[in-house]
Amino acid sequence: MTVRLDAPPSPPAAAPARRRAVSGRRVVLRRLSGLLAVAGLLAWAVDRALPAEGELVNRGGLALLDDLAATALHPSLDAAFCGVVLEATVTTLALALLGTAGALVVGLAGGLILSDVAWDRSPPWPVRAGRLLLRGVLVAVRSVHELVWALFLVSVLGLDPLVAVLALALPFGAQSAQVFGETLDGVPGAPLRALRAAGARRFPALAYALLPGAAPLLLSYSFYRFECALRSTVVLGVAGVGGLGVELTLSLQSRNWGEVWTLVAALLALAAVVELWSNRVRSDVAVVTCADWSAGQARAARSPRGLSRSTRWSLALVVPAIAGAWWWVGPSPAGLVSTRTQDLGGRLLLDLWPPALPEGGMPALAGASLDTVAMAVLAMVVAVVITLVVGPWAGRPRADRRGPAAWGRRALWWPARLLLLVLRSIPPTVWAVVALLSLFPGVLPGASALGLYTGGILGRLVAEAWETMDLRPRDALRGAGVPRVVSAVLSIGPPSANHLVTYTLYRFEICVRDTVIVGAVGAAGLGRLLGERLAAFDFSVVTSILLASLLISFAVELLGRRLRRALRG
Amino acid sequence: MVRLRGAGCRFGPREALRDVDLTIHAGERVAVLGASGAGKSTLLALLNGSLEPTTGSVEVFGEDPALLSVPRRRRLQRRIGSVSQDLALIEQVRVLHNVNAGRLGRWSTTRALASLVWPHSLDVVVDALDRVDLGWALHERTERLSGGERQRVAIARLLVQAPELVVADEPVSSLDPVRAAEILGLLRTSPAVRTVVVALHQPALAQKHCARVLGLREGRLVLDLPAAEVSDAALNDLYALV
Repeated sequence: MTVRLDAPPSPPAAAPARRRAVSGRRVVLRRLSGLLAVAGLLAWAVDRALPAEGELVNRGGLALLDDLAATALHPSLDAAFCGVVLEATVTTLALALLGTAGALVVGLAGGLILSDVAWDRSPPWPVRAGRLLLRGVLVAVRSVHELVWALFLVSVLGLDPLVAVLALALPFGAQSAQVFGETLDGVPGAPLRALRAAGARRFPALAYALLPGAAPLLLSYSFYRFECALRSTVVLGVAGVGGLGVELTLSLQSRNWGEVWTLVAALLALAAVVELWSNRVRSDVAVVTCADWSAGQARAARSPRGLSRSTRWSLALVVPAIAGAWWWVGPSPAGLVSTRTQDLGGRLLLDLWPPALPEGGMPALAGASLDTVAMAVLAMVVAVVITLVVGPWAGRPRADRRGPAAWGRRALWWPARLLLLVLRSIPPTVWAVVALLSLFPGVLPGASALGLYTGGILGRLVAEAWETMDLRPRDALRGAGVPRVVSAVLSIGPPSANHLVTYTLYRFEICVRDTVIVGAVGAAGLGRLLGERLAAFDFSVVTSILLASLLISFAVELLGRRLRRALRG
Repeated sequence: MVRLRGAGCRFGPREALRDVDLTIHAGERVAVLGASGAGKSTLLALLNGSLEPTTGSVEVFGEDPALLSVPRRRRLQRRIGSVSQDLALIEQVRVLHNVNAGRLGRWSTTRALASLVWPHSLDVVVDALDRVDLGWALHERTERLSGGERQRVAIARLLVQAPELVVADEPVSSLDPVRAAEILGLLRTSPAVRTVVVALHQPALAQKHCARVLGLREGRLVLDLPAAEVSDAALNDLYALV
């Protein structure tokens, strides 16, 4: 094994260059340009979203909205329907579980291949070229939204539960592979090298030396992914697979508001239970917040205290649960290799290439792309407002506070948490349908629907970051005689702003990807175009739409990185 | 048993080791002395096959690790036991798995994976831990042990591996003098182990426990004498600042 030992330190450079002082004016200028860019983006998005003429509010739909509100306290409790809801709830849970399991298999295999540490020397060039290719494929796979995957797969496999499982497993697996690869590379490599030097085979050595260090992080990430999968499973209902989501789509289409409310209640209960459980396991195995995972990093991985009894039980139950889920939804993997599938899949691939422009040519495609970006920008505005208003109250109150102020804080804590849970658990498709009742189709209803949903997620991320914030600087200021309010603002303000900016920009990237969901139910942008073209089996246009959204994703990621740097200076 | 011919090692612009000719016979107990950065770790890494020389050649048990196929090199490396400076213990597992890791080279993949769940032949592990005075720590998490205890876990791992050649890089640096002497004694008297090459910081320990002393200075082998003939003047030269 030609493992290079850690290269010994290179001899000191002749004369270390003195670090240049940071120019204050430069920082101010950079921040100002960042702020200006954000303001310009907002102004442009608002301008694009407001229709040039005609009305904004659909008065005809307001009556329906009234109906919807009126039935809020009278959900359908019909016994037969309740049975359907219960069955759909179990199906949703089972599909999310299977999807996550599939994603983990893809993620572990991909992560091992992508990590440097698993190859004990610099791999030969065919392997390196293969890895580069794999990286590209994974980026492409995860840039396509799970809903789009589901729509594609439905056209090949039919309405099989396998569609939902694959639609979750592919993009989530691609995402996990990247995170797992980085996590494995973060584990100290000395034990692995030592085992290999003592003649251990590759896989046992990896299992002994890497797994124990990485397992808590991998586990924590898996549970975070499971929460995401649950939300996505409901969204997949639009494509006709996935339990509660399907029922929700059907009830919305038939305007049966009583049923909608029952389904929403079931959805909330399921989401609440799963999040509480996942939170418990995650805080038990490793201290990584959702916020860290969503930002694709695992910092502050302090060593866990050992597992509590409830965590041990839930881990022991995972494998039987997956088997049970498989039995419950009854997917037919034989369908994957049937001649019909091969036939349809082959034809689909042939239809996808070469790409063709939609009706209206390049301007139509560009317009839809701009609509998508504008929608995401406005959605983030809504989300940030929700976060600023609700987020501060949704963090767990510190245990050491006493007195009436603390009681008030606790009294606000639960409603705030619940509100955020409601916002993020109800799928954006439902928000979009509600928004489309009151607003004419366009950027605005899509943006408000996505904004409500994203606000629920962003609020939680920021609240979690607050919960784990280091309060020692504040206490130090207080100890130095600085008034309470001033010391709080000085010490908590900057890191909070930092978190908010980071998570907002990360979430913005995801939001651009999510516009396809609200587009598919008729809002605007590339998603709407995609939905229409898929329904018309116009696959060559679909290809160009997907390419356009891939391009936007890259551009937005680049923009996000720049803005982050400018604003954090 | 071990033969180096003009072996040198270069990391970028830095020559960690140059032009070393060295033969170590079976049954020898060799100490490697030298100041920090003199090339001790590099020399030992050449011996256990974890590093290939950039110039010259290395032969262990009559074979050059760099020229062997992967499975054959693995079989060769099984016969060499290493203890490195940073111990390379797996922090998050129980001590018994770290000890068992010494036997991974002889285990099939299935047995190795099964043993993570249901430890294989625990009596061997208990025996090795007893010999380093750590019998109580069998089920302890490795990260909870002190520096000295961890060093003894690394020795126990070596004992279950039962290698013919031991390459140890400062195995006793964080032990008190009595324990240090004990561990070096263990390395010497273990039945399978025939040859020991050990890098040490204390010349006195080297002279007491080893029959032959090598001295490295700036990557060159400048001293190669029976332990009894090493003079204080020679040692002073070895550690003198440039």
